[in-house]
Amino acid sequence: MTRTARLLLFAVAVLVLAPAGVVVAMNMPAFGSHELPYGDAVNSTIPAARHISNMVSAVNFDVRGLDTLGEEFMLVCAVTGTVVLLRGERGEKLTSHPAQMRGRLNAPRSDALVLTGRLMGPMVLLFGLYVVLHATVTPGGGFQGGVVISSGLLLLYLCEDYQTWRWFMRAGWLDACEGGGALIFVLAGAAPLCFGAHFLQNIMPLGKFRDMLSGGLMQIVNAAVACAVLGGFALVFLEFLEETREPRGDP
Amino acid sequence: MTALLPWLVAAWLLGIGLYGIVTSSNYIHLIGCLNVVQSATYVILLCVGYRWNAGPPIFDPQPPGTPAVDPVVQALVLTDIVIGATVSALLLALAVQLHKRKGTLDPEALRPMR
Repeated sequence: MTRTARLLLFAVAVLVLAPAGVVVAMNMPAFGSHELPYGDAVNSTIPAARHISNMVSAVNFDVRGLDTLGEEFMLVCAVTGTVVLLRGERGEKLTSHPAQMRGRLNAPRSDALVLTGRLMGPMVLLFGLYVVLHATVTPGGGFQGGVVISSGLLLLYLCEDYQTWRWFMRAGWLDACEGGGALIFVLAGAAPLCFGAHFLQNIMPLGKFRDMLSGGLMQIVNAAVACAVLGGFALVFLEFLEETREPRGDP
Repeated sequence: MTALLPWLVAAWLLGIGLYGIVTSSNYIHLIGCLNVVQSATYVILLCVGYRWNAGPPIFDPQPPGTPAVDPVVQALVLTDIVIGATVSALLLALAVQLHKRKGTLDPEALRPMR
């Protein structure tokens, strides 16, 4: 289909759908002042029922934990697909000792970049860990903290040599982190079944309100999600950076 | 009009993203447009859960029972963003493979597989 034909088709679709969209927008519930039955139910019952103060984490890891399990596997699938596509041609064994690709300039890092990165990198990692650990108390959780930690790892790449970065970014460990996170989530869901409870039912001690370790089973699920997100994003970074290298003779 | 604005912003994001996809001549650009389309859903979800004069659904300084916005849609958007980022990575990996095999990123230059 040519570009003009596609644009024409798009214009027709807009002509049909735009008035419909306006009608829908006119008939939406009043912005900011309509009923929120599900949100209110969560907000009013969960602090007492689960002893935690972050309702978003409660929804993710407890109320609709089964959905999050599905999303977790979507994440694993997408990361696996990315890794398979990128590793496919290079071969799995050849990624542990990469060499510089011919003709690609390896610009030396400036001292300012190295200093800033070495100061900020560990700080970002620590902040990510903080965000993961306080999932049930303050804003944060496994999803956000995992992304923060993996971006801290990317910051370390900026200030270190690629070889040095690869020395601590072991693909095998990241694979285990990614798949292990998903596995722990499933096991955390299945464990209550052994005690005669329902899947993902929160039967662990709930702890004290506003305590870092409150929330019972949510703590385990949160840690599993953090592992999977951290491993997944770090793997994606690793494989894309690996695309700029060529394999060197591995033992 | 103010009441309509959130929904119109979402519709605009959806429309402009689709326009970019339709006219795109580069897969990287197309994946960016797909992300714009996806962000329309974030706007919709967050606006659906909004409530005037309400705080965040996190009862850390304020006691439980204070008016708060809907945490359900926020949790949806949160997971959506993370999954969306990895799906973008998957699409970009496909673009890398495409460029390796065909030497082009232009959707027009591709013919159906035989």
